Amino acid sequence: MNDDPEQLDKHVEDLLQDRRPERTPLGDEAALRARQTAAMLRAAKPGAGLPSKEFLERMQGSIQGWVGERSARPEPTARPSRRTLLLTGVAGIAAGVAATVGIDRLAKSPTPPNNQALVQNNGSWKPVKALADLPEGEPVAFRSGAIEGFLIRQGQEVKGISAVCTHMGCILNYSKFRKQIECPCHGATFQTDGQPSDQYNSPLPPLPSLNVRIQRGQVEVYTV
Amino acid sequence: MPEDPTTGAAVFAPSGKVVALPQVGATQDRDHLTWAYQTHVTAIYQYIYSRVGNRPDAEDLTAQVFMKAITGMRNDVSVPELRSWLYRVAQTTLADHWREYYAEDAGELEDDVTRSPAPRENPEAVLRVDSLLATLPESYRRVLELRFLRGYSVRETAQELNLSETNVKVLQFRALNRAGRERGRAT
Repeated sequence: MNDDPEQLDKHVEDLLQDRRPERTPLGDEAALRARQTAAMLRAAKPGAGLPSKEFLERMQGSIQGWVGERSARPEPTARPSRRTLLLTGVAGIAAGVAATVGIDRLAKSPTPPNNQALVQNNGSWKPVKALADLPEGEPVAFRSGAIEGFLIRQGQEVKGISAVCTHMGCILNYSKFRKQIECPCHGATFQTDGQPSDQYNSPLPPLPSLNVRIQRGQVEVYTV
Repeated sequence: MPEDPTTGAAVFAPSGKVVALPQVGATQDRDHLTWAYQTHVTAIYQYIYSRVGNRPDAEDLTAQVFMKAITGMRNDVSVPELRSWLYRVAQTTLADHWREYYAEDAGELEDDVTRSPAPRENPEAVLRVDSLLATLPESYRRVLELRFLRGYSVRETAQELNLSETNVKVLQFRALNRAGRERGRAT
């Protein structure tokens, strides 16, 4: 089938309305590329491309269910074909599992061991900031290797905590005005010691701590 | 805290950052594994959204990716392994998607399959779009900016550019095809 402006615009209009475009066989590579480019442009629009809260909650429940099933069958199994998935309806499974999952249950969802540092072994110490650059008591964000975290100076000591929200995994920001750590995705907040502010029905897990040391005025973080 | 934490994710999009999960030790228990998967949902969703450009497809494909990934991966996976595994499954799922619905063989058309995905996918997607638009003639760039980045309707775009609606569609068609060729060249 030959591509034409009307047909392509119909596809574009569907994307702009966040609708699933009609599945039309395309005649050539150019037509497919045009649609892939349209998708890329669509996703660059401010406000586009973040999952809805409902979808995230559904996925949290689904993942819990799938991991549970997987753990019950320790032997590796053949991956389901795409066809099977479509026929059984992933959305249906997701909705079923998630139906009973609300935010209060999510808050109790699994977390890493809180009393342990995030990186335990196989890592190395990496300098991230000079001690002199850290203000007293105010979290400073850093990124090193696979770690995103905050450093909080208390006198001659520095504490490190993870900057990944324990709700849905977004990267947290520190607000100087409100003096708290805030999640841009769903509004979770944490105190500067990593403890959650009690905001959901049951509190989120605290932010895991990081191993931090000071070497010759440099703050180093154990990272990978 | 933000004014309305119940509003949902979309509102925060410009500042919303993609998950970059810190390294943890080998995941051993089920709860920890569940947590490790759960914290990647937003990143995988954004990765897929920037390739299909609509919510229903992005939600379905994301769910498929996690179901396939969890079923096909052993339980003692480390987080870096899990992350790269999820992106690999996402890439093949996307290639299947294009192949199944739009073309006989889209395998070689998915230009990102070999690319190692950046941990912060969406800001990167925005940069890629900017540099792509920069390669286009002014009129092409203008129509794509109005339609996609500013969300103008065809009629509004026609008024803005002083063209007929038919001409806007033709211009959009040429611009997307040209941009598609430029993307192909760049990869």
